[in-house]
Amino acid sequence: MSDLPAIEALDLRKSFGENRAVQGVSFQVNRGEIFSLLGPNGAGKTTTISMLSCLLRPDDGDARVMGRSIRSDPSGVKSVLGVVPQEIALYEDLSARENLTFWGKMYDLRGSKLKARVDEVLEVIGLRDRANERVGKYSGGMKRRVNIGVALLHKPQVVYMDEPTVGIDPQSRRNILDNVVRLKNEGMTVLYTTHYMEEAQELSDHIGIMDHGKLIACGTNEELVKLVGQQTRIDLTLNAHVESVAAAWREIEGVSHVAAENGVATALVNDSNLALPHLFEAASRLSARITSVNIREPNLEAVFLHLTGRALRD
Amino acid sequence: MLRILDIAFKDLLQLSRDFKVFMFLLIMPILFTFLFGYAFGGFGGESDSRLPVGYLALDDHWVTDKLHRLLANSEVIRLEESVLFSEADLEKLVAEGDLAAAVIVPQGYGKAVVKDKTVRLIVIADTSVQAWTTVKAELLSAASRIDGAARTAEVMENMELEGVPFDYAFDQTLSAWEEPPITIHETSSLALEKANLANRALAHTSPGMMLQFAIAGLLTAAQVIVAERKSRTLQRLLTTNTRRIHVALGHYLAIFLLIFAQFSILITFGQIALGVNYFRLPQATLLAAFCAALCISAMGLLIGVLAKNEEQAIIFSLVPMFVFAGLGGAWVPLEVTGETFRVIGHLSPIAWGMDGFENIVARGLGVESVLIPSAALAGYGALFFALAVWRLNAAEEK
Ligand SMILES: Nc1ncnc2c1ncn2[C@@H]1O[C@H](COP(=O)(O)OP(=O)(O)OP(=O)(O)O)[C@@H](O)[C@H]1O
Ligand SMILES: [Mg+2]
Repeated sequence: MSDLPAIEALDLRKSFGENRAVQGVSFQVNRGEIFSLLGPNGAGKTTTISMLSCLLRPDDGDARVMGRSIRSDPSGVKSVLGVVPQEIALYEDLSARENLTFWGKMYDLRGSKLKARVDEVLEVIGLRDRANERVGKYSGGMKRRVNIGVALLHKPQVVYMDEPTVGIDPQSRRNILDNVVRLKNEGMTVLYTTHYMEEAQELSDHIGIMDHGKLIACGTNEELVKLVGQQTRIDLTLNAHVESVAAAWREIEGVSHVAAENGVATALVNDSNLALPHLFEAASRLSARITSVNIREPNLEAVFLHLTGRALRD
Repeated sequence: MLRILDIAFKDLLQLSRDFKVFMFLLIMPILFTFLFGYAFGGFGGESDSRLPVGYLALDDHWVTDKLHRLLANSEVIRLEESVLFSEADLEKLVAEGDLAAAVIVPQGYGKAVVKDKTVRLIVIADTSVQAWTTVKAELLSAASRIDGAARTAEVMENMELEGVPFDYAFDQTLSAWEEPPITIHETSSLALEKANLANRALAHTSPGMMLQFAIAGLLTAAQVIVAERKSRTLQRLLTTNTRRIHVALGHYLAIFLLIFAQFSILITFGQIALGVNYFRLPQATLLAAFCAALCISAMGLLIGVLAKNEEQAIIFSLVPMFVFAGLGGAWVPLEVTGETFRVIGHLSPIAWGMDGFENIVARGLGVESVLIPSAALAGYGALFFALAVWRLNAAEEK
């Protein structure tokens, strides 16, 4: 029983009219691990999570959460779940404590147990001192922390976190990431979505890369990075002619993938020492001024670029 | 079940933080009750508290004019005159308690007074109401003064011409008092309880403003529901084992408790501070308030479900408030608007609410008179609630 996966998505599909938001996604999350869905805006991460939390009925496919089907046993699924939505889904005119107390009741906690859990969670999210202030007056980061705290009240077996670190200060972000790891250490299974590859890389046991409603790669960080071989990623920020510089780079030997986006030309190269002079030369030949250079060893971003030909950016 | 209470409690906590709630539900209705109360209480300003007495003169004579002047200057009655009044109208107005009494000056009255013939004033009144004593005294005194003046004048005239002795004049004057110069037409009035007619206007505007602003107050509750949906907190609720029907019932319960509390406060205020006799039939008042709250809170739920944003919540509350209140006779009583409008007006649930409360506080009717209005209110409530739940379910998966 305990070796059953915590989450098992089987060919999930969902369309909104013509828009095929999720087109056959299958993956498996083991118990007690952190699994990240990494993908750009509109990749279908939230739609996938919504189906896994029984908010959206899949057009096709099924999923099991702790062995319970999202189709046939939604209330069973909900009872083992804590969901942190992408939006800050709180009552802004209530305080953090009042919010947590209310949500605790929605998770069937009552009485002294509820009170104790609310205090514990306030401690965990570092808001004990300001627990009685209205959430509406909090900073974005503090709201995010309460948003997460709500989902942890009933100590769920599985937690979904949909981009919990979007648009917040580094301090709150650290608190959140530390908490995610702590949850894992306490034995919870975490399904995490993000479009920050650093987060996925730092936290995850396994990572699924999503794009245009499809899971285009899945594995551990190392497995995924291997997909791009030992290539190094070079970003040049240019004041002009990004497209033509990128086109010129494609002709250079040892350069595999090239992308141009938002004034940045990106190339994957086998050996940066060999390639760099050529890249610079092409830029200066086209009279594009280089305003910054960034060289990165293989990482998930490179994997995304390799798989989609686009940079993983918002 | 516990979830429903939890959601309702949470809503009430949110609402208690919104000043608009107190503003719309308590401050505004009290303010407007006074405002409308004075506006409708009569156009005589401070002489407001005089008893309204219908006046119809079928006679055209200088003596009749004197009588009119006497009555018009009275400090206890206020003449309500209209060229449109017929005898039947007056009878009806008295019967419905809108007038304390009515005086009809019959044709030939003036001439008769001068000639010392007996043509008496006709008075329509419900003699069982307390106010009658006051009205009667005033009418008698006016009529007697006219008669007395005429007798005296006649006597003086006679003395000058024929030298009539004083005792004859005295007898003549006194004889005028032997038979009262007015004839009283007994009529059975519904207005048994309308002793304090000065409060008639308040008895109308107190429930009127209470019902009207209960609807205005819905915008606060509707905003809570809209905000819950827009912030996707509703979605989050649905990731717990909470169902849509729990959410709907929770919100409904919260609004119901809020409106019912508003009614309780305003009814007590009306009774104690304004003298509107809600407590005359406590069970009937309770039933009418309960059903009106059932209806209006369902309307609130529906507004919350239909409104796409907070601005719409305001519009969807205030527009029905004006339409239902205007149509339903919260401002101008439906009795004075004519049959067609009265029928149309009853499309508005407010009209039923007004019927319910006014049957108790203004018309002096019994408990059974609030049964139909209450049933109508409960029916509207069920309709609004069903629509809200239907919309809520239709919005699923969106
Ligand atoms: N309720 C909906 N109705 C219509 N289209 C939708 C709905 N929800 C999502 N979509 C569409 O489905 C696609 C996938 O959206 P989704 O929110 O799942 O992406 P995401 O990976 O979570 O993106 P983000 O990083 O911006 O949150 C998008 O094209 C989006 O516009
Ligand atoms: Mg998303």
